Amino acid sequence: MSQPVTTNPLIIMLINMTVVFLVLIALGLVINLIHMIDPTRPKEKKQEEAAPAAVAAAEPAPAVEPAADEKGISPEIVAVIAAAIASYGYGVEQIRAIRPIERDGWKNSGRMRLSHRRS
Amino acid sequence: MELFNAFVVSLQAVWADSGFSAFEAGNGIMILVGLVLLYMAIVKEFEPLLLGPIAFGCILANFPRTGFLEEPGLMQAIHYGIANEIFPPLIFLGIGAMTDFGPLLARPVTLLLGAAAQIGVFVALVGAMLLGFNVQEAGAIGIIGGADGPTAIYLSIQMAPHLLGAIAVAAYSYMSLVPLIQPPVMKLLTTQKEREVTMEQLRPVTKFERVCFPIVAAIIISLLLPPIASLLGCLMLGNLFRESGVMDRLSDTAQNSLCNIVTIFLATGTGMTMNAHDFLVPQTLLIIGLGLVAFIAGTAGGVIFGKIMCRVSGWKINPLIGSAGVSAVPMAARVSQVVGMKSKPGNYLLMHAMGPNVAGVIGTAVAAGTMLAMLK
Repeated sequence: MSQPVTTNPLIIMLINMTVVFLVLIALGLVINLIHMIDPTRPKEKKQEEAAPAAVAAAEPAPAVEPAADEKGISPEIVAVIAAAIASYGYGVEQIRAIRPIERDGWKNSGRMRLSHRRS
Repeated sequence: MELFNAFVVSLQAVWADSGFSAFEAGNGIMILVGLVLLYMAIVKEFEPLLLGPIAFGCILANFPRTGFLEEPGLMQAIHYGIANEIFPPLIFLGIGAMTDFGPLLARPVTLLLGAAAQIGVFVALVGAMLLGFNVQEAGAIGIIGGADGPTAIYLSIQMAPHLLGAIAVAAYSYMSLVPLIQPPVMKLLTTQKEREVTMEQLRPVTKFERVCFPIVAAIIISLLLPPIASLLGCLMLGNLFRESGVMDRLSDTAQNSLCNIVTIFLATGTGMTMNAHDFLVPQTLLIIGLGLVAFIAGTAGGVIFGKIMCRVSGWKINPLIGSAGVSAVPMAARVSQVVGMKSKPGNYLLMHAMGPNVAGVIGTAVAAGTMLAMLK
């Protein structure tokens, strides 16, 4: 067994903690580098661009098609629905109307049956 | 009469060769210790897969005149595997195959929590030196704070082989007591508001990242710290088996059959180092006490660094995940989850805590490598 570099416990603690932090920070940088060069990474930029566009374009939506409900739909809800639709790859211009669902169960049941027959 | 004399002489020879004639009080005490450990493993279910064979190994080690370590045989082969650092890297191979590095890759900043929790290792090292242990012994004792059994054994064998039994028993006992030791420290150091912090969902990690990480990490760490190349190399190789998607059979073997076989050898062999001559010394009690200090300090270090990260990130990191930096995969992460859920039902911290938890495994190995480079 060779001689230890130092026998001062505080120096050992400082050096070791510094090395542990530096190695793990270096690993963190490597992880970020791998993420950056990852050719299979989903294109975040496109999504980021689409989302604000969806939100921006969604705001006038109530003006295009006034809500059927007397109280109307809040701009926040419209923005969320538009962003969700945009995330599926549809353009905001394709949204024609956003209406609250009918409370009448019989009507809804009839609509669902019709849509099933069509499909 | 001649027949009777022959019978008596034979009986005396059998008695003289038996273990009873050389049995000492120390052996009896250690067999009792083994029985208590067996009770904890079987009845209390404290890490039974490890504590069970350790306890039985302890009982076996205290039978006099077995010649286990002197004569070629299974027991000597097991001892060879421990004394020559064969088993800890093989256990790491299995751990690598079982570990999901995804949460760490999704949020690499949690590596810092794994680093901060290593303070426990060095607090115990300072304490051990103040209590009169030499620097190599203190380093081996300190690594108990890493809550990583194979690394503790790996370092003890190289720096203080005579303390291996006490260090291994302390490390595995405290690992099984993590759910009792950590929560009071976590609650003491955090406020209710901090414990209620809800963390954002982790981003998805691609297969490319999962495959690249073990390869690159093995290269970098092995070049930086060659003394732990076999440990970290096996950890990353096991993880590559898992993540590559084309080595499922190897991954399955590493996770199950191989890991179980090596666990039997490693744990039994560790127990067999607990003979009365080496274990029944005042140092053992000091080591067990220092191990507890190391665990508490490591938990505190992780939580305090978590508090700092919580403030710096704008209350996006829950400090409770810091305690998971003390390795003990996945128990420490589960403790973070349980304490978080008690503070705010529905606040799931498990996946977030797995990041610092696996970072702790790497951090402990790095600390061990640095100590080997400096102190051996």
